[in-house]
Amino acid sequence: MGRVVIDKEKCKGCFLCVDVCPKKILKKGTNYNSKGNYTVYVDDPNNECFGCALCAKRCPDMAITEVYR
Amino acid sequence: METLVFQKPSSIQKDCNVTFCPGCDHGVAIRIIAELLDELNLVEKTIVVSSIGCSVFLNDYYNLDIIEAPHGRALAVATGVKRSKPDKFVFTYQGDGDFASIGLGESMHGLSRGEKVTAICINNTNYGMTGGQMAPTTIIGQKTTTTINGRDPNLQGYPIKICEMASICDGAAFVARCSLDSSKEIENTKKMIKKAFESQINNQGASLIEILSTCPTNWKLSPQEAHKRIREELYPVFPLGIYKDKTSK
Repeated sequence: MGRVVIDKEKCKGCFLCVDVCPKKILKKGTNYNSKGNYTVYVDDPNNECFGCALCAKRCPDMAITEVYR
Repeated sequence: METLVFQKPSSIQKDCNVTFCPGCDHGVAIRIIAELLDELNLVEKTIVVSSIGCSVFLNDYYNLDIIEAPHGRALAVATGVKRSKPDKFVFTYQGDGDFASIGLGESMHGLSRGEKVTAICINNTNYGMTGGQMAPTTIIGQKTTTTINGRDPNLQGYPIKICEMASICDGAAFVARCSLDSSKEIENTKKMIKKAFESQINNQGASLIEILSTCPTNWKLSPQEAHKRIREELYPVFPLGIYKDKTSK
């Protein structure tokens, strides 16, 4: 199954990827990074991610650096 | 066995930190262009002309040769670069204030002369970097810091439509307007930019891509609401589509 790699230091917390994820496994986080931005995290207990890479193509900050399928 | 289906394009710097506001579509446009340069094997021979505005920091993102043009003069600088080095691939990256306000003369003359360059214009309907003043593309009724009651046609006139103007230039080979508000439109934008790049590779003339983009900070909307605004308010004023296509003939 799929896997996304998120660089949390680059995430600015716009959460556009949260809306675009078809499986809704990207969640708004409550922790912030060194720049003070809330970041996204992957909550995928059932291995639902299938590596469509829509989140990575939507991310304006290139914070989703790699997607595996 | 896992296969890599997405990674950062090689023409983007490894430790690149995108410095735009959260939710700004500039980053998507920059990534799409980088992916296309990789796909078309243009990285080694590309010269980019960047402009004044939010597009000024291109040298922080790309591993490419970049010239910084004076305000509005990106197409004039690109003309010089392309004429002195015709084997290079030259494109400009401009905002709407740069392209359609101070640089309208240079832009339209560059397209009319049919210079073999590509212009990419990011239209976010205001001056983003300087704090959201009215731009030539600001739509009727839009509130900015210099039109606090909304743009009034009796006082400030009507918005400039870049693609409609460019489509009557004889030298332009490919003119299209696209948007970045959804995943589908991002794919479509990539196709349009690819066509424009190919028209330059085939020496067919000047090409222009206008991209409708968001400015969540100055529109005072969330990134999600800003995309909704593009669909509801900007689409009727700036219809998407191909305005001129001489590439197939």
